[in-house]
Amino acid sequence: MKRIGLIINPVAGMGGSVGLKGTDGNVEEAERRGAVPHAGERAGQTLDLLKQQKEICFLACAGAMGEAALAASGLKNYRVVYTPGNETSPADTRAAAQVFREQGIDLIMFCGGDGTARDIFSVVGPDIPILGIPAGVKMYSGVFAVNPAAAAELVAGLNKAALRDSEVMDVDEEAYRAGTLDTRLYGIARTPVIRGMVAVSKQVYEQPDEERIKLEIAQFMQEVMLPGALYIIGAGTTTETIVRYLGLKKTLLGVDVVKNHRLVARDADEKALLRLTEKERDIRIIVSPIGAQGFILGRGNQQISPVVIRRAGTGHVIVVATPHKLQEIPELLVDSGDPSLDREFGESIQVICGYRLAQRKPIRQQEPGGSS
Amino acid sequence: MYIFVQNNYWYMQTKILLDEEQIPKRWYNVQADLPSPLDPPLHPATHKPVGPDDLKAIFPMELIRQEVTTDRYIDIPEEVRDVLRLWRPSPLYRAHRLEKFLKTPAKIYYKWEGVSPAGSHKTNTSVPQAYYNMKAGIERIATETGAGQWGSALAFATMLYDLECTIYMVRSSYTQKPYRKSMMQVWGGECIPSPSTKTKSGQAVLEKDPETPGALGIAISEAVEDAATHANTNYALGSVLNHVCLHQTIIGQECREQLASVEEYPDVVIGCVGGGSNFAGIAFPFAGDKMTGKHKDVDIIGVEPASCPTLTKGAYTYDFGDVAGLTPLMKMFTLGHDFVPPSIHAGGLRYHGDSPIVSRLVHDGVMRAVAYHQSEVFDAAQTFSRTEGIIVAPETSHAVKCAIDEALKCKKTGEEKTIMFNCSGHGNFDMSAYDAYYAGKLVDYEYPDELINEAIGRIPKIQ
Repeated sequence: MKRIGLIINPVAGMGGSVGLKGTDGNVEEAERRGAVPHAGERAGQTLDLLKQQKEICFLACAGAMGEAALAASGLKNYRVVYTPGNETSPADTRAAAQVFREQGIDLIMFCGGDGTARDIFSVVGPDIPILGIPAGVKMYSGVFAVNPAAAAELVAGLNKAALRDSEVMDVDEEAYRAGTLDTRLYGIARTPVIRGMVAVSKQVYEQPDEERIKLEIAQFMQEVMLPGALYIIGAGTTTETIVRYLGLKKTLLGVDVVKNHRLVARDADEKALLRLTEKERDIRIIVSPIGAQGFILGRGNQQISPVVIRRAGTGHVIVVATPHKLQEIPELLVDSGDPSLDREFGESIQVICGYRLAQRKPIRQQEPGGSS
Repeated sequence: MYIFVQNNYWYMQTKILLDEEQIPKRWYNVQADLPSPLDPPLHPATHKPVGPDDLKAIFPMELIRQEVTTDRYIDIPEEVRDVLRLWRPSPLYRAHRLEKFLKTPAKIYYKWEGVSPAGSHKTNTSVPQAYYNMKAGIERIATETGAGQWGSALAFATMLYDLECTIYMVRSSYTQKPYRKSMMQVWGGECIPSPSTKTKSGQAVLEKDPETPGALGIAISEAVEDAATHANTNYALGSVLNHVCLHQTIIGQECREQLASVEEYPDVVIGCVGGGSNFAGIAFPFAGDKMTGKHKDVDIIGVEPASCPTLTKGAYTYDFGDVAGLTPLMKMFTLGHDFVPPSIHAGGLRYHGDSPIVSRLVHDGVMRAVAYHQSEVFDAAQTFSRTEGIIVAPETSHAVKCAIDEALKCKKTGEEKTIMFNCSGHGNFDMSAYDAYYAGKLVDYEYPDELINEAIGRIPKIQ
């Protein structure tokens, strides 16, 4: 029997339909503009497909945060463990996640957007897998299933599913207040993924074996890292493995700098990177795609600014990613903040995905004027 | 180009056919026309040149002789030619519909080797190899097969000469391509998923990892061990070796005859390259013409996958033929014997090395090589199927892609070149690869040569 915690953010997505950049703190404005809640309905599409599943029981929140949708789908095997206030808020999401955590569950399935994902992640971290039914305005995080039916498929096959890393992204509030809408990497959650025949480097593995592949990538990177060159290493678990393989400790969500197998800087900001790169001749940047959209620059790695990239040269940007991750992102996105620099990356880029192994992936520049 | 009139319609000749009696009577040995001899294979332990005695345990003497001889021609036994009559001479097609679709002034010809019973060029060598083993009193042949092309070709050939055949098939292919295994069964071959419990090398792998999907390197070890430990059993290889390339030259010799019958000689000759034998087959007779000065300008192109770019990105040096390092060291282009290419759909092109003769000719500039990504190659295969009809194997698609590119270059320059490629096999058992293509699931793997070369130079370093 798998125990699934269900959290529906009833107002998720409302802002989007009426031109708001998110719904949190904007519910009244959204309603005033005529938005109607649809998250419950989205969750219902998933729940309808799980009716026949005997081996699943739900832990739920009362009312619109879960119970209503469960009842509407005719599901019986659920238990209400948390009752929110009259107007649900991010605090309710966090409180529910806390109760789920205490009760011990196998997965939290939520229906919402990046804000909901971030609230849940702030409580459970990578300890409890998270799966999103997409319903929000912003969904840059990698925790979402592609649609409600795919979420149902993952939950139904949870026994056989493996876990993958998934970035939790959300709007950078500081930047937002400063007038730009930008996303930030808040953490790396775990999300179920269906085991399939995945062709990975040498052989066809029957199951995703992320750790093994990351080590393969790390082994290769160590082999090709040049003495004397300065390596700026972006956020993420694949890049973390590379640094760990060198026997060093990496800032998971930050940018570290390595030279001659030594850490030169940890969690460096743009200023530190500018200072460090000022007199270096040979600069390389190692990054991994971040979030569901596959940004290699411009999201989660903003410290690596256009000036830093220019000092390295676009030809010295080394992209690394596991094949499973690449399977989910059809193209990579570049949005460094300098469109002419973005264009220098050309139409495609090589992505290291194993030992002495790469894939060629198309690159798309962020549309002019397009915001995150 | 021949045009004829019938019932008031103008027809353009599409197939150029030869009579059965025009099946070549001799194989052409390009070693005779090399300006200097090939570097000899070296013993893996002593690094001294390998002698015939080193190979006697697993190959019949006549094939060992063919491996090293510098005689320009070697007679094809009548018993072998008699079997070849079943599908040879194979047709040479003029690709009128493809040319029209591309709007190219170039003339495109393709040699269709998919007419053989097993569906590819592999039977051109499996038949003589089985024959010489039978003549030497051998009762059984052991071999390995990846995707199953070679295994089925050898099962067919051994059946004709009443030999037993044991085929170690890489386990992942064994489960994914069940119909290749079925073919082997029809022809009386015993197909065993590798690693197996039949050999020590197989047992060792299974002990470590009972769920392993297997690999070609492991299957080779099993087949060689099987042959070396049974007196009545020999080993057979479907590509790479000189005698295999020799047997395939029947393709290029027929092509030259067929083109001559319509008063043509190719400007460009193309073949896909894994181990190199089908490319050698179509190319060597023309490489000979080039080296002997008869046709100095013929452009000969080997096409390989970007994920396993042996000729375009590898080093020309001595390396082992297998992963474990048990085979003799051969001078060839290689990505390193420990490089295991990614699982692209053109399984037949996944080899870290290449035929030593093909390597030498590319190194000397007699032939050249290009590399393509998987999805562009399938685009080309689709174009070919939708114009010429034939659904080609993923390996063959590489040659198709190159031919189309060369024809499109002619469109730009207005040149009326004669382009010919070896259409080495059909893709009727590769429909899952086409399914993956249409589902958008093809991964464009490539070899990160810049990073590697910058850091450690072109690998490997042996000696």
